[in-house]
Amino acid sequence: MDLLTSAWNYFLNRQDLMFEVLKEHVNLVLWATFFTIIIGVPLGIAISRTERLRDIVLGSVSILYTIPILALFGFLIPIMGIGSKPALIALVVYGLLPVIRNSCVGIIQVHPMLKEAARGMGANNLQLLFRVEIPLAFPVIFAGIRTALVMNFSLATYAVFIGAGGMGRIIMQGIRTYNTGMLLAGILMVVITTVFLERLVGFVDNRIQKRFSLGD
Amino acid sequence: MTREISVELQNVSKYYGTEKVVDEVSFSVEKGEIFVLIGPSGCGKTTTLKMINQLIPHTSGNILVNGVDVTKLDAVELRRSIGYVIQYIGLLPHLTIQENIAFVLKLTKKSKKEQNERALELVETVGLQANYLKRYPRELSGGQQQRVGVARALAANPDILLMDEPFGAVDPLTREQLQNELLRLQESIRKTIVFVTHDMQEAFKVGSRIGILRQGKLVCLGTPMEIVRSEDEFVKNFIGQGALFEVLDTIPVLRAIEKDIPIVSEKGKVDLSDEKLKGWENIFVTNDHGQCLGYISLDSLNQDGTFSAGQIEPLPAGCSPEVSVKQAVEEMLWKGKTWLPVISEDEGFKGIVLFSSCADLLAEDRR
Ligand SMILES: Nc1ncnc2c1ncn2[C@@H]1O[C@H](COP(=O)(O)OP(=O)(O)OP(=O)(O)O)[C@@H](O)[C@H]1O
Ligand SMILES: [Mg+2]
Repeated sequence: MDLLTSAWNYFLNRQDLMFEVLKEHVNLVLWATFFTIIIGVPLGIAISRTERLRDIVLGSVSILYTIPILALFGFLIPIMGIGSKPALIALVVYGLLPVIRNSCVGIIQVHPMLKEAARGMGANNLQLLFRVEIPLAFPVIFAGIRTALVMNFSLATYAVFIGAGGMGRIIMQGIRTYNTGMLLAGILMVVITTVFLERLVGFVDNRIQKRFSLGD
Repeated sequence: MTREISVELQNVSKYYGTEKVVDEVSFSVEKGEIFVLIGPSGCGKTTTLKMINQLIPHTSGNILVNGVDVTKLDAVELRRSIGYVIQYIGLLPHLTIQENIAFVLKLTKKSKKEQNERALELVETVGLQANYLKRYPRELSGGQQQRVGVARALAANPDILLMDEPFGAVDPLTREQLQNELLRLQESIRKTIVFVTHDMQEAFKVGSRIGILRQGKLVCLGTPMEIVRSEDEFVKNFIGQGALFEVLDTIPVLRAIEKDIPIVSEKGKVDLSDEKLKGWENIFVTNDHGQCLGYISLDSLNQDGTFSAGQIEPLPAGCSPEVSVKQAVEEMLWKGKTWLPVISEDEGFKGIVLFSSCADLLAEDRR
């Protein structure tokens, strides 16, 4: 009980810092997700067309995905130094797998009959992609983005190790200074914001699935 | 009169690897006719149809659309100019009915206003209410979806329609209704239609000519009447017994109506030496307004051709001019008559049909 009170007191006294780290965190995650989407979705769609390319790309992204994040930092620091740039790159690397995979699967699972109907009415390749394939694959693509976003949000706690700030800062500092109130405040903040984000995207996802569901 | 050819296949073949799924098929479809392709499952109907709009490229032979070799045309433009009703309907589930119908217009970048107006017009053409426009395909019954499929194919007002089992996925009753609506619609729009089905009755009903495919080969081609007379064993088996009678079901009774029946005014007398009376047992009596009062047997007339009102027998119950020859024949067999009056609700007596003329129709070559 004491612990909780001290965490609460810490939070009340250092609201400014809390908001600062939250801002850093959200900023980092949003940019990472943005780049994940603009790289991952087109790449996923591209590899849905050719099986050979698909195996190569998904294979290599899966390997990257298995590297522990600290090892990835260790790899990036000699090349790029510290700061938000390498942190961003690391997050993008992890976010790519679900986005690429889902974009690819989403496009592949569009029923051939529907594509044929569209082509039969005179859709050219671009129209087929933007008017039929992407809209129909969108729920699956979005599910991939959702996974990447939530994962990046919790991974971004490690960004502190590479000097990119974020909520990890409070936890780290709490550990380093044996300030259990601060540590707990940091932990609670991460947990609560993550749950909140999870809920939020879950809600949006639900709406999308409903709107786009084929109903059969 | 030379007939205009809209679609022509010349020795067209399609191979998948070494498998020949369409084998040297040739036929030509005249402008404004409904040409039916029929055959057992897997015989190559869909493949043949898709080669016409080049969804599937043919391996050899020539395909001409309005006289132009399709390989010389831009495939996308070709498809936009041909209406296509895909097997299993294939409405786009993420688009409303309105967007589905106007899909081609969207592809060709027509204005939003034009898209909406056309969708409204077509949804009514195919017998749906305008409030369906805002719905999604999953909210419609199978029959309604098939109607939308037809409306969608008509959107760009193409001269040629390709229909792949357009009424395949509905119950027999709805199917018959859709067939009737198609025929009625065709009266006014006069499209050239290539129609694929595996239902012989449907083929007889909608087809002006029918081609029967078997393992990729066109084994029989002709009018329904020619098809039922085919000596080919496969064709005989395929169309089954009773096909002849089914063909009669496709012919409106008005086609069999007698053009020159003997008539006498109620106040006049019969000229017994008239050539027109040859072969007739009865003469029909009309009043001043041209209405038919009944008939008199020629034997019961007085020597000089006069008759009294009492001799006039009333017309027996007839059939409406909308029924088919088959239905009229059934009626006669049922009542044990050799003839029936045709009576329209609005115009009254239209004439009579004779059993013998109905039989003669089968002997006739053209439809
Ligand atoms: N992409 C393909 N690759 C190989 N064979 C194919 C392909 N598409 C169709 N076939 C074969 O071609 C033949 C003709 O197919 P098609 O779809 O034209 O038949 P269909 O007459 O329309 O049959 P149904 O009445 O079942 O629709 C079939 O034996 C089918 O297995
Ligand atoms: Mg087929």
